[in-house]
Order: sequence, then structure tokens, then C-alpha cells
Amino acid sequence: MRAVVRRCRPVRFILLAACVSLAGGLAGCATPPPADDPDAVADFRQTNDPLEPTNRVFYKINDTLDTYALKPAAQAYRFVLPERVRTGIHNVLDNLGGPVRLTNDTLEGKPRRAGDTAMRFLINSTAGVGGIFDVAKSVGYPNHDTDFALTLANWNVPEGPFLFLPVLGPSSPRDVTGFAADMVINPFTWIARGQRVFTITSWTKTVLGALDARAEFLDAIDNVKKTALDPYATFRSLYRQNRAGKLETLRADNRATIPIWWPQAVSAQAASGGGK
Amino acid sequence: MKPMLDRRHCLIASLVVAGTGLPLHRAFAQAVEKASAFVQQMGDKLVGIVNGAQSAADKRRALTQILEASVDVDGIARFCLGRFWRLATPDQQKRYLAAFHEVLVTNISSKLGEYKGVKLTVQRGRPQDDEAIVTTIVDRPNNPPTNVDWVIEQPTAAPRIIDVIAEGTSLRLTQRQDYASYLTRNNNNVDALINAMQQQTARSG
Repeated sequence: MRAVVRRCRPVRFILLAACVSLAGGLAGCATPPPADDPDAVADFRQTNDPLEPTNRVFYKINDTLDTYALKPAAQAYRFVLPERVRTGIHNVLDNLGGPVRLTNDTLEGKPRRAGDTAMRFLINSTAGVGGIFDVAKSVGYPNHDTDFALTLANWNVPEGPFLFLPVLGPSSPRDVTGFAADMVINPFTWIARGQRVFTITSWTKTVLGALDARAEFLDAIDNVKKTALDPYATFRSLYRQNRAGKLETLRADNRATIPIWWPQAVSAQAASGGGK
Repeated sequence: MKPMLDRRHCLIASLVVAGTGLPLHRAFAQAVEKASAFVQQMGDKLVGIVNGAQSAADKRRALTQILEASVDVDGIARFCLGRFWRLATPDQQKRYLAAFHEVLVTNISSKLGEYKGVKLTVQRGRPQDDEAIVTTIVDRPNNPPTNVDWVIEQPTAAPRIIDVIAEGTSLRLTQRQDYASYLTRNNNNVDALINAMQQQTARSG
């Protein structure tokens, strides 16, 4: 669900400011279990959702918005446009995220990932006709997800308690910070700012981004709502596991940067011998 | 003299490692291979059911058979109830297990329609603690390929699935947190949970 709103940058920022002040007003806190029940206390700590009552209010608001606006729009989007067109739109939006990803790959100290991102952006922007076709993938530069919140996580910045924010959906203080930082990092936030063309393009991008992301999760979200006894808790769990999984993948990606002119066999041997 | 001793120590240590470590490693490798073959076999059966032409009721029956044979449903059910398993009475435990079996079959069979045309490819297996993890790629029309890891318990004995991890999210952990939250909001009443599970199956079954 987070991905749904990831791309709605300008709207999200305004709503973010609004909801932070609103959250301050509601400020409902979950009651911790009695201290003489250590199992319950351990569960409460693990859930790490001290603002649960407030979060649930926002979950309800989002869910209503989704049911009556975003979901039907995404269904229409999927119904009207053929799959190839939708894939093209998805690829263009993905390509526009290249500069932000490149910055984060670099800040994370992952040279091979940064290389993949740079090559993807160059190849897909040109040979891929402005990003419509993912040519880079087929020539050995696979895509990966990253953002400033993951960069912070990689720097061991703690996640903080769970947050469910209006429009933004599931989040955490670390993820909100990362989201704001990504907007600042993104050159497309600043290029031609204030011009009419920019406003139109950025709104189109926002709307398409929301539709694209929501359409991708139509079945998945329906399934959770149908099968979970407590959808809020299930989304919370899924969101956290998903973020933790991305961090794990990021941390495990330690591919070495070996220059192309370096004798590959020798360096491979040296790398395996180094472990002994 | 000293370096000699050190070298001898090293030699002895490496012999010990080679003597014990190698067969162990081989046993693990065999177990992992077995787990991969098991996932392949079970996956083929599942895909056969999904893409088959039988009626929904027949599909459900076939699915139940596979689940009971290759999934440790009771173990998963206990895991999902967490600390409440110990708090439940034997009668509640029994009814909970029965409800859980139903929920699992219903949830999976209600998704079968969406998975028409599915393809499952086994990538590789790796050992983790007492378990083997087999990575597969699930391809279905109109959807990007999904990474699905199958966690196989004690692959040396008869292999059984104890968890499925789809794109980094564990099915049993998600279920456990769903139940935990439901129980917390319903005065830790296991009967309320069982009722809710039964209602849920009735709704989607």
C-alpha cells in the first residue's frame, strides 16, 4: 500500500504536514499490558505500535478513500488500458526515479548497485525511448528498489514506532524522513519549477503513479481484506516484513567492483582465497 | 620450534574440520537437494490443480490432500497462536486446529482462480539451521514474477513445509500477528478467535 502512494510526491507532502498536526491533536496512545504478564509485554514491545488507536483512525480514513476513489480508479485504469501500455507507463515512471536511486545507492556505499542504476538510466532513457522499454534489464542491468529511508536503515538509524498516515499509508518516523529527503534529492522536483508545463507534468506523473501502483496491488489488497481477521494488523505486519526484506537484500548485495581490465580469474581466486 | 607447533596445530585442526565438516556438509547438501526435489514435485502437483479442468469442489479436495501430506499444518497452527496456545484449554486447542485446517484450505482454494496459467520454477536450495529453504519463481499472466521461498522442516526426514515466504513476507508470521492483534482486541478470548475463523471460512467458502 505504501508503494501506492510513493509516487504522489507533492500531494503527499501537503498531506503529511496536515496529518502530523492532526496526529498531535488526536494523540491516542495504546494502553500497555500489565507489567506482571511478561509474555504480553514482550508482544506489545514487538508490535511497537504505541500510537495504535490514532493509527487505526487514519487506517479507516484511508480505507474509505481507497474504496471509493483510488480502487475504482485503478480498476478502470486496468480495464481501459492494454497491458503493454500500462507496462510502458510503469517503466517511464520507474525510470524517472533513477537519479534518486543512484544517489541512495551511492550513499549506501553499494558501487555495483549504483552502477546498475546509472546504466539503467542511461540505456533506458535513450535506447528505451524515454524509459518506455526496459532494455537495460535484458542486457544485464536488473532493477532494484531503494530509497533514503533504506539508506538511513543501512546507516543503523532506528525505525521508530509504527505510523499509519493519511494517504501515505503505513510508515515509520524513519520512512517519513526518507520520503521527504527523496523529494529533496529528486532533480525532477526542482527542474522548471513554477512553470505551467511543470505543474501539468508533475500532476500527470502523480496521478499515473498512484494508478499504476494501486493497479499492481489490486488482487493482493483484496485478498488481505478478505482473509485477515484484523486487516490493519496484517498490513502492519506485511509492511514491516517487506521493508526488512528490502534492507536485508540491500545489505547482502556486496558484489565486488572489479575493473574490466583486471584479470578476472585471478581476482576471483584472490576473493575466494581471502576468506581462508 | 614454536611456528612448527602452530603449523601442526593448524594441520590437526584442519584435519578435524575436514573429517567432521565434510560429511556433515555432504549430508546437508543431500538434504537440501531432497528438499528442492520435494518442492518441485509438490509445485508440479499444485500447478496441475490450478491449471486443471476439474470442478471447484474436486480442486478443493485435491488441494486438501496435498496440504495434509506436504504441509505441517498443525505446527503452523500452533506457531500462529503464539503464547495463546498454552493459555487455551485442550478443547479450544482441538477446535482451533480444526478451524485452522479449514481456513488454510479455503484461503488457498479461493485464490486458485487468480493463479490460472501459473508457472513455478525451482531456483536453488540452501540450508538454514535445521531447515532448508528452497527458492522458486512464480510466474503468472499479467503479474510480475514473484520470489517465493519454501521453508522445509528437517529435510533429512520426510520433508514438510513449515512456512512460505512470498517476496520477503512470511505467511505464518503475518498470520500470527493478525491473530495476536485480534485476540488483544477481544480480551484474549480464544473462543472469539475460533468463531471469527469459522465465520471467515463460511463467508469465503
